[in-house]
Amino acid sequence: MTVPAKRSIDIHSYLAEFDDIPGTRVFTAKRARQGYHLNQFAMSLMKAENRERWKADERAYLEDWTLTEEQKEAVLARDYNRLLDLGGNIYFLSKIFSTDGQSFLQAVSTMSGMSLDDYSAMMIAGGRSPAGQRSIKEKR
Amino acid sequence: MARITAGIGSSHVPALGVASDFNKSEEAYWKPVFAGYEWTKTWEREHVPDVVILVYNDHATAFDMKIIPTFAIGCAETFQPADEGWGPRQVPVVEGHPDLAWHIAQSCILDEFDMTIINEMDVDHGLTVPLSMMFGKPDAWPCKVIPLAVNVVTYPPPSGNRCWALGEAIARAVESYPEDLNVQIWGTGGMSHQLQGPRAGLINAEWDNAFLDGLVGESDRLRHIEHIEYLRETGSEGIEMVMWLIMRGALGQKTRLLHKHYHVPASNTAVGHIVLEKAGD
Repeated sequence: MTVPAKRSIDIHSYLAEFDDIPGTRVFTAKRARQGYHLNQFAMSLMKAENRERWKADERAYLEDWTLTEEQKEAVLARDYNRLLDLGGNIYFLSKIFSTDGQSFLQAVSTMSGMSLDDYSAMMIAGGRSPAGQRSIKEKR
Repeated sequence: MARITAGIGSSHVPALGVASDFNKSEEAYWKPVFAGYEWTKTWEREHVPDVVILVYNDHATAFDMKIIPTFAIGCAETFQPADEGWGPRQVPVVEGHPDLAWHIAQSCILDEFDMTIINEMDVDHGLTVPLSMMFGKPDAWPCKVIPLAVNVVTYPPPSGNRCWALGEAIARAVESYPEDLNVQIWGTGGMSHQLQGPRAGLINAEWDNAFLDGLVGESDRLRHIEHIEYLRETGSEGIEMVMWLIMRGALGQKTRLLHKHYHVPASNTAVGHIVLEKAGD
């Protein structure tokens, strides 16, 4: 058995590179901390009884959670790009749109700036090309 | 002695579970996806394993933000399909293999892989969709399953190199288990997809196919791919492919290709699927 030499990775440059990816928020520790209560709120919607309370009065349900006002407004507006900026993670946020009866395809299309029809057609045609989408700095 | 005989890589897109559960697999949109798994369904019927070690990620189902284990092994007798927000999938209960699971956990920890041991856990689409794709819709799954959940949601996930090495450690653990068991290991998730932000919908068929090809034969170049490359080339959720490397690492130095399939799209995602067997060390 050969064990490759262990390479050490500089955490600062590791994290800095993530900001160079166009249109993407990588779920780093910083975002995980910022969005902790937001994501835990979303997680609570996995229970049927919580979904009922949520549907009956969304604003009142949110008052039980220590979210910032900005996070609450973005949740009520279903502004998923904003929620990503405020520390939300898509797998947690999926509990919100699942409760709304939306599929991943529907919810994800709202972040792409395209209509559902246009987004679906793009996917059927092979998806979004990586050309020009890899790096902001290097424009590739 | 127990032995790992084969490895499978497969996407675990939740929409595939929906298509299977609601009998949509013959519809024009889904037919080419399911057709690619027909070969494997037949092959699995002819080579039924005793146990599948199923590497997957939990999607904010069993684990919330409170506890984030990097590598967690399911040691329970049974695992219930989870309610992910729209009720549990109507698929069979997953039967574990606690003896082998605990043996792997103990062996890996002594081998310097500090596994988290899970004694109670529901399993989400990441685990049940691959079972549906490989086994269809039986009344009971044909084998025992050891869930191995990997954190690929909160950064940093484990490196590809670490995943490969864990696969090697799992193979050593299995080979030291005294009972004669036919064990398969499945790596699931991917392939290219991005479920968030303005770049959502990214697909990179060329990269995905090079990854599939890289799993075959003697090369170990895939273990050195860095996280940033998965992110740039295959979308933010393409990082799930590191889990396939646990499967590849467990197959030893050399693999032989039995079956390969690639299709775009299933929902937001590129579907990739490969069946490999060990080709000797």
